[in-house]
Amino acid sequence: MKKLIAGAMLLGASSLAFAQPGCGVGAMIWKGQSGIAPHVLAATTNGTFGNQTFGMTTGTLGCNTNESVKSMAMYMDSNIDKIARDMSRGEGENLDTLAVLLNVEQNDRAAFRQLLQDNFATVFPSSDTTSDEAVSAIVALLESHASFSKYVA
Amino acid sequence: MHRHLASGRVPRLFLALLALALTCPILANEQLKNLAQDPAWLTLGHYRPDTLGSSYTSQADDPGFFLSAGGKTSPYAELVATLDAIRKSGAGDRHARCRFPARDRWLREQLDLPQTQVSCPAFEQWEETLNTETVTLVFAASYLNSPSSMFGHTFIRLDPPKVDEQADLLLASTISYAADAAAHDSEIMFAYRGIFGGYPGITTIQPYYEKIRLYSDIENRDLWEYRLNLTPEETGMLLAHAWEIRGKNFDYYFFDENCAYRLLALIDVARPGTHLLDEVSTHAIPSDTVRWVVDHDLVASVHYRPSSATVVEHYIDQLPPDHRTLAADLASGDLSVNAEAIQSVPPKERARILDATYDYVRYQTQEEGWSRERAAPLSYDLLRARSRIEQSAPLAPPPEPAVRDDQGHATFRASLLGGRQGERNFTQLTLRPAYHDVLDPPEGYRRGAQLQFLRLDTRLYTDNQEFQVEQLTGVEIRSLSVRDRFFSPLSWQVGFGGRRSEIESDQRIFTPYLDGGAGFGWAPTPQSQLFAMATADLEIDNDLPKGYDAAPGADLGWLYQGHLVSIIGGIKTKAWFVGDEHREDTAYAELNWHITRDFGLSAGWERQHHFDRYETAWQIGLNAYF
Repeated sequence: MKKLIAGAMLLGASSLAFAQPGCGVGAMIWKGQSGIAPHVLAATTNGTFGNQTFGMTTGTLGCNTNESVKSMAMYMDSNIDKIARDMSRGEGENLDTLAVLLNVEQNDRAAFRQLLQDNFATVFPSSDTTSDEAVSAIVALLESHASFSKYVA
Repeated sequence: MHRHLASGRVPRLFLALLALALTCPILANEQLKNLAQDPAWLTLGHYRPDTLGSSYTSQADDPGFFLSAGGKTSPYAELVATLDAIRKSGAGDRHARCRFPARDRWLREQLDLPQTQVSCPAFEQWEETLNTETVTLVFAASYLNSPSSMFGHTFIRLDPPKVDEQADLLLASTISYAADAAAHDSEIMFAYRGIFGGYPGITTIQPYYEKIRLYSDIENRDLWEYRLNLTPEETGMLLAHAWEIRGKNFDYYFFDENCAYRLLALIDVARPGTHLLDEVSTHAIPSDTVRWVVDHDLVASVHYRPSSATVVEHYIDQLPPDHRTLAADLASGDLSVNAEAIQSVPPKERARILDATYDYVRYQTQEEGWSRERAAPLSYDLLRARSRIEQSAPLAPPPEPAVRDDQGHATFRASLLGGRQGERNFTQLTLRPAYHDVLDPPEGYRRGAQLQFLRLDTRLYTDNQEFQVEQLTGVEIRSLSVRDRFFSPLSWQVGFGGRRSEIESDQRIFTPYLDGGAGFGWAPTPQSQLFAMATADLEIDNDLPKGYDAAPGADLGWLYQGHLVSIIGGIKTKAWFVGDEHREDTAYAELNWHITRDFGLSAGWERQHHFDRYETAWQIGLNAYF
């Protein structure tokens, strides 16, 4: 799976950082993107889809990075509205892809889906939630659960 | 050498040399010449025979694709140069073996060159990153209201070894070939340069989820995934050749050298002897190319991925009528998710209403450009309400259509008809190279969609053996779509060409025309629709009183598209107002009986009132598709 993600990375991004002061998700991921970070429910994606991933920049040396969280952040960047939909339903291929990207084991998948559905409002507190805020919230959510913290360590 | 002839070691040395000469390098010119004409080599170099003579020209328009200065027009020179280059010592990304891994692989097999390993870090990393086990050809079906999409689009997905079914595939990489059109080019410029050349074609690699976003979510095109039965070696060859053409310019043409064409070449390289490109004559319509791939036994399995539009329609259809009303009220803002009417619905059913409504709101936001102020809070409320319902019985996904797009009728149609125009009998031959009209067998095509190119109707009048071109259609597009409380598409039509038109003196002259129209359609039953169109016609000809004439008009009709028979009928009126003011009123009916996918009967009838004269025309005959 890592290889696949590396494939996505080829498109432009190389390193992002998380969970350390000074190199938060929001600060780095969306650099180079024109305008604001994608909102969960941005009015339209017409014509501008996916460009943000190409705009990602490097330059977070010194920050602790977790490959799978980076991958998840990239995927959420392009698919945030579909992930929100799947999360509210507690099922769907985009939610499964998230689990794959985080290397969530098959045994934990059902609980993973349930956890995200139950905490929908925590991950997306409003319709203005941005993709990077949602990523941070998911990381925090998983960290706070003993059985899931290993996936974001 | 002479001095050692007598010694016993010489014959052995001689034999060894002979063996070496036979198995590899210093090859007879003749052998190389033959090799340069090998179909596999010609495919690797994208060589196509020139129209005249026996020479070849490569379709690659990039000097970087050739190792010989004369490579574009000489498969032989390119072969010799490649052979020299891949036998040079050294390694690294700049070495010919690394730049042309597919040629290298093929030549080493053909000439029994030593299969020594070479280190190509960039190519190896690329291959490793793509992590491909199998290859899937993906066909993006056409969608209504977009004529250029009616051709369809194809690209290749590189599937990783199976770990996780769907989720893995969303992350898989795709290879596609497309015109590199500047974003600011207008539609007209796009059409012109697409047809006559001028756009570079480029090969791009993107994750599949980006493609789904574009085709399923934004363009509302269903995707058909054809997993190919390539062996691991064939898959390796395909990737190696994709590497060779990556970033290389091939001029892009809509009709032949298009997205589908270049992918066919990739498959031809992967499995020598397939010769998919030989199927291409004047045009490569993606849906036709998929047919060829299926016919060449290249497909292991097929998977259907409905578009957002297909899904949302199917979701709404599954709701009982009273819940459909609730969904409509939720979407319009007349009801909030907290309203009693919603909350009183049992959770399982409420979940279904919320799911369908959310998908509908997203669809409308995309299609109708609902503002963020309207869509975002509404969407969010729906999602949040939905997340509180755990027990659910999800709505069923749309079923796979019984007839796939590649299983519809072939796009070239020839018709032989007999009929009568007024007092004259005629025999008519109609050739339509592409693509589909609303009376053709509907399976595998969008309902109400019509796209015809270069259709020629010729008649031989039997009374005086007079031959006449009845109509030459340049392009004719019709998009008849139905409206309901959830969807409100516009129906429209546009066409140009030349046609017989009656003038006051009773003559039927051949006049260039341009016409168009817009209106609405409603579906009384799933297979039929009523439509009302406002139309506009323009005709230009010296025989017209002022050299041209124009007419606003109306067309009211009924269309039925069934498995066995398709029928259209209605009344049209046109008010010509430039020359002398007069009306032209027509009642018409036309029927096609679909006997098989490749063969049918058609009948048409028309009664016209024009210049205070009544005239009736009818015809009956056969249609064949191939």
